[in-house]
Amino acid sequence: MIEIKNVSKWFGDFQVLVDIDEVVQRGQKVVICGPSGSGKSTLLRCINGLEPYQKGEIVVDGVSLSDPKTNLYKLREKIGMVFQRFELYPHMTVLRNITLAPIKVRKKSRPQAEKKAMELLERVGIPDKAGAYPANLSGGQQQRVAIARALAMEPACMMFDEPTSALDPEMIQEVLEVMIGLAKEGMTMLVVTHEMGFAREVADEIIFMDAGRIVERGRGDEFFKNPKSQRTKDFLGQILK
Amino acid sequence: MLSYKFDWGVLWRQPYGEWLLQGLWLTIQIGALAWVIALSLGILFGTLRSVRFLPLRILGSVYVEVFRNIPFLVQLFFWFYAGPMLFGKTLQFKINALSGLNYYVAIVALGLYTASRVGEHVRAGFASIGHGQYEAVLSTGMTPVQMYWHVMIPHALRLIIPPLTTEFLTIFKNSAVAMTIGVAETTFMSYKIDEQTFHGLEATTGAMAIYLVLGMTVVKLMDFIEARFRIPGLMTR
Amino acid sequence: MFDAVLENLPYLLGGFLTNVKLAVFALAGGLFLGTLVGLGRISKRPWVYYPVTLYVNFLRNIPLILVIFWFYFVMPILVGKNLDPFVSAAVSFIVFEATYFGEIFRAGFQSISKDLVSAAYSTGLNFRQTATYILVPIAFRRMLPSMITQSIITFQDTSLAYVIGLAEMVRRTTIVDSIEVRSIQLYSFVAILFFIICFIGSRISLHYEEKSRKAKVL
Repeated sequence: MIEIKNVSKWFGDFQVLVDIDEVVQRGQKVVICGPSGSGKSTLLRCINGLEPYQKGEIVVDGVSLSDPKTNLYKLREKIGMVFQRFELYPHMTVLRNITLAPIKVRKKSRPQAEKKAMELLERVGIPDKAGAYPANLSGGQQQRVAIARALAMEPACMMFDEPTSALDPEMIQEVLEVMIGLAKEGMTMLVVTHEMGFAREVADEIIFMDAGRIVERGRGDEFFKNPKSQRTKDFLGQILK
Repeated sequence: MLSYKFDWGVLWRQPYGEWLLQGLWLTIQIGALAWVIALSLGILFGTLRSVRFLPLRILGSVYVEVFRNIPFLVQLFFWFYAGPMLFGKTLQFKINALSGLNYYVAIVALGLYTASRVGEHVRAGFASIGHGQYEAVLSTGMTPVQMYWHVMIPHALRLIIPPLTTEFLTIFKNSAVAMTIGVAETTFMSYKIDEQTFHGLEATTGAMAIYLVLGMTVVKLMDFIEARFRIPGLMTR
Repeated sequence: MFDAVLENLPYLLGGFLTNVKLAVFALAGGLFLGTLVGLGRISKRPWVYYPVTLYVNFLRNIPLILVIFWFYFVMPILVGKNLDPFVSAAVSFIVFEATYFGEIFRAGFQSISKDLVSAAYSTGLNFRQTATYILVPIAFRRMLPSMITQSIITFQDTSLAYVIGLAEMVRRTTIVDSIEVRSIQLYSFVAILFFIICFIGSRISLHYEEKSRKAKVL
């Protein structure tokens, strides 16, 4: 459902994505790992049109991002995104955070949206926090709310940009569990993360990126046991200590 | 749109062009002289606000709060209309008879007003220098007065050149208020041109251009001063 | 001691009310226009950014008194008839103060992390919705102390409407003074009145600054 064809992106003179080719099928879970600055976050942002690219083409569900007629807003409704620092709206309650987009974009009624929001909060395990403000929540709780917020738009695919990197170790598991649950339900997922345990359990494909390129891709254990490139070996050596 | 014939010639035709230039000269005078007062008093009050001795701090605070919370126009009118009366019945008439009284009052009032703002910037400058330097200087045996005069004030002044530039610009803008007591500066002249020619739109637009050029000159001047007195190794921007 | 003031109190306070009225209009219009100016100043579209930046930098270098005069001369030409000084003054103030509020909003917008905006966009919200529900509310709450301080300055500035003959407090004070010649009382009174309002305002602003510093919520 997502096709990335020979995509390159420059920030000024610096090439941040180099000839990226990838296909993500519906229902697939793809994990992207790599050192910082390798372009993983940028790639995610190109897929939902938050960042432009200069060369190549990205097609989401048959709609090309290169086409000037494409309505980016409609496209973003199809892809949910979760950020490293949660990015909840600090001036709104948890419930309002989740219902804002469904009400304003999908034109749902408030009771409708709130009912769905409560269901989602149940699913991520914190229905009691509906009236709380983000500042009163722990990092793990905030991230789970962020996931619920993204799910509220009923996306066809979810992207995660280092969802657990800003969390204290005790809270990483609660967020990973929600993500594993999503995976088991068949959600198409694109996850940038260092959590290799999660990758092992859930990923259909693991991609290693370095300096803007896809250096290697592999399936599950195959990737971890027999990395083909030296750079991959070095990187895995670092993070799997 | 009312049929209005623009007459941009008012800006350079005699005597109007000359009026504007005379006005500019007065604006510069008032601004510069008031700035001298503002800097001196501002440094004084900023220092008072920063010393250990509470009564002096309170004195400084009172000054700043009073001059900051009353509009400049009101302050100006107070000094000009009510001020002479403060000197008693006999002196009052002598003072009011002085020619150019409005000029002197404008300068003093503007200086006093701006000093309160400069004082705040000076205080902020001291605060950002940090405690360590304060202790280091005192431990060499200098008195607090010497410390401030020789070390803290020169240091703080360099740090606060950007906000001081803003205040210097503001002083020229506020000098325009002096027109209300009859000082023949730039804005006054543009209004006078309107009285004579009914082309106030052109005149005030011309006056705007004058202030813009003046402002740019001030910024360039302060940039030069900042470069000339820069402290190497300090992040002043 | 303040007998001249007391005798003319209703007249003087009526003038004060005009200052308040003018300030209310100036603030309402200035805040609204200021929001647009702030958004314009962070815009990536050059045809929005440059004109707005020019407008802001131009007006911030010119005395407010001159702006008041300029509108006083311009409005009759544009509208075709002579205008009430209040309207002319209100327009001048709105246009002028919007530059200051615009810069305050700009600082507020720039303090919002890029990813927060991305998060809003990624749920399908468009620019107008993101600005209305996310950017403006957050920026406003963050910059509240500065907004209050600027509002106090605006209130003080309303005294300048004196120059186009508006019957606000300062003009009325000069009128009474020309009759009674009790200058010290009269000018002290108007000074004290402004002082009280502005001092209270600055305390409120400090209170909010303390509160937001302690809470660090936003």
